[in-house]
Amino acid sequence: MSTPAAVSTRPPQSGLAATWVNHPQVRMFRTLVRREFWEHRSLWLAPLAVTALLLASALLTHGVAKIDAGDASEWLDPQVKTNLFALAQWGLTIPHYLVMILLQTFYLLDCLYAERKDRSILFWKSLPISDSITVLSKLFVGGVVLPLGIFVLALVTDVLFTIIWDLRAFIGQAPDLVLWDTVAFLKTQSVMFLGLIISMLWYAPFLGAFLLASVVVRRNVLMWVTVVPLLAVIIERIAFGTRWLSNFLRYRTYGVWGDLHVESAILNSLRPVGGGGGVIVSIPEVFDRVHLAPAFVDIDLWLGLLFTAGCVFAAARVRRYRDDA
Amino acid sequence: MARSTQTVSAMTTPVIEARGLKKSYRTTPALEEVNFSVGAGRIVGLIGPNGAGKTTALKSILGLTRFDGELRVLGFDPRSQRDELMRDVSFIADVAVLPRWMRVSQALELVAGVHGRFDLTRAQEFLRRTDIRMRSRVRELSKGMVTQLHLALILAIDARLLVLDEPTLGLDLLYRRQFYDTLLNDYFNHERTILITTHQVEEVENLFTDVIFINHGRVVLDSSVEAISERFVQVTVAPDRVAEARALQPFYEREVFGRTVMMFDGRPGGELAPLGELRTPSIADLFVAKMESPNP
Repeated sequence: MSTPAAVSTRPPQSGLAATWVNHPQVRMFRTLVRREFWEHRSLWLAPLAVTALLLASALLTHGVAKIDAGDASEWLDPQVKTNLFALAQWGLTIPHYLVMILLQTFYLLDCLYAERKDRSILFWKSLPISDSITVLSKLFVGGVVLPLGIFVLALVTDVLFTIIWDLRAFIGQAPDLVLWDTVAFLKTQSVMFLGLIISMLWYAPFLGAFLLASVVVRRNVLMWVTVVPLLAVIIERIAFGTRWLSNFLRYRTYGVWGDLHVESAILNSLRPVGGGGGVIVSIPEVFDRVHLAPAFVDIDLWLGLLFTAGCVFAAARVRRYRDDA
Repeated sequence: MARSTQTVSAMTTPVIEARGLKKSYRTTPALEEVNFSVGAGRIVGLIGPNGAGKTTALKSILGLTRFDGELRVLGFDPRSQRDELMRDVSFIADVAVLPRWMRVSQALELVAGVHGRFDLTRAQEFLRRTDIRMRSRVRELSKGMVTQLHLALILAIDARLLVLDEPTLGLDLLYRRQFYDTLLNDYFNHERTILITTHQVEEVENLFTDVIFINHGRVVLDSSVEAISERFVQVTVAPDRVAEARALQPFYEREVFGRTVMMFDGRPGGELAPLGELRTPSIADLFVAKMESPNP
C-alpha cells in the first residue's frame, strides 16, 4: 500500500554558494528549469540519440572507410591529418546543432501553448510562480541551457569519436586518418564555443518571437510563424514592389556572420601552389584568423536582444490574463 | 515587520471583500455590482446555477481575470498584487488540471521547489494512505486518484485561503465523501478560510458555515448558516390555510404531492405555526426557492 518516497533528500550544503543556491527565487527557477526537461523529454533524448548514432558510426564504418581511404592513410602528411582532425571536430558537431535548432523551434513554439491545451495552466497559476519567471525559465531552457548542453555533449561526442577511431586505427580496423592535436582541439572548440555564444545572442529574437507566438496564437502555432511571414513577404512584393521584409529576415538570419570575416580568414591562410591556386596548410590557423570580437559589438545584435526582452515582457503580460483554457 | 503588520490587519479585516464587483464578456454581463464579504475561519459555499457568475467571481478573486469595482483578498488587490497573493492562497480549479505528463514524485518535488509553505513530509504521509505510487504519471491515475494527489499537494500548503471550484465534479460518491472529510479533518482550522463552488449542494451543505447564492451575476443571498435557520421557514401548508398563508407573502411556493409548500423570509415562527408544519429549509431547498422565485 505505502510507497517509498521517491523525492530525493540532498546532503546539506554550506557556505555562500549554498546560501545562493537555496535562495527561494533561485530554487524556484532551478525547479522550473528541471520541470521543462520532465515535460519536454525530447530536449535531452534527441541529443543523446544523436550522440549514440555518431558513436555507433565510429564503431561500424569499417568497410566503407577502408575502401575509400584505407590506402591513403599510409602516406598522409601529419599536417593533413591534423587538418582532418580539426575538420572532424567541427563536422561532427553539425548533427547536434541541427537537432538543437529543431528542438529550440518546436519547444519554444509549444511550451506556453501546451499548458493551455492540456488545461494545466490553472494548476501552474495556483502556485506562487509569477508569469515573468515562468516565461523567463522557458526562454532560459531554450536559449541557454539547451545550446550549452548541446555544446558539452557535442564536445564529449567529439572526444569519444576520436578515441574510438584512434583505437580502431591502432588495431588496424580503421584507416589512420586523423592525428590528435591538443592545440588544434582547444582552438577548434574555443572558436566553436564563441561562435555558439554569438549564435545564442544573434538568434535570440527568433526565440523570443516563438515564445510570444506560443502564448498569443490560439492554435497552429507553427503555421503562424511560417505562413504568416511568408505571406507578408509576398504581399509586400506584390503591393509595394519592395523586398524590405525578406531582406530584413535574411539579414537577421545570416547578418552577423559577415562580422567574423571567415572569407578573408580563409584567403589569408592560403599558401600559394604552382599554377596560381592556393591550399590551406593549417585549418587551426584559419580559426586563428576569424574575427570574433566585432560580432559582440554589432549594434544589431544588441538591438535584437532588446527585441527579445520586449517579447518576454509581452509574453508574460499576455499569459497573465490568458484564460481560454 | 511587514509580515507581522499584515498578519495583525488580516485578523481584523475580512479575508475577501468585494464592493461593486463588475465583469462583462463583450456585451454579456457576468457580474453586476456584486458585494460580499468573507471572514476568516469560515467555510463558504458560493452557489449558483450554470452561468450565474460563480467561476467569474472565483477568477476575479484569484487574479485570473480583469474586473471592475473593488476587491481585496487577504488585503491584496488580485489585479496588481497577484504574485504576493498566491503565496497565501491555494486553489483547485478542476480535478483534471494536473499536468498529465507529470510523475507523482515530480509533482511533490515541483511544489516543494516553488512553494515556501509546502510541507513535503505531510504530502508524502497523506499519499501513503492511498494507492498512489510515486513513479506513476498523472495520466495513469484514475480521476479519483488525481483528486487525491491534488488534495495531498494542497493540504500540505499552509495557505490562509483555499478556493475550490467544483473540486469533486465527475467523482463517485466514495471519493467525494473522502475528499470533504479529509478537507474538514486534516486541513480546516479557524485561521483558514475555504471558498467552495459546487453543484452538489446536498452533499456538502453541512460543511458550510456561510453561503452566498449568486444568480444572473448578482448576489441573491449572503448569510451564515446559523442566520438561515433564524430567518427562513419552510411551511407545508394545510390545504384549508393556503389563502391565509399567501397573505403573509411567501417568497416561494410549490406543490409537493398535492400539498403546498411555502418559503418565508423573516416571519416569526409563532405567526406561521398555525398554518401547517414548519421546518428550517435545507440549503438545497433554499437555493431552489431563491433561484426560482420571481422576487428572491
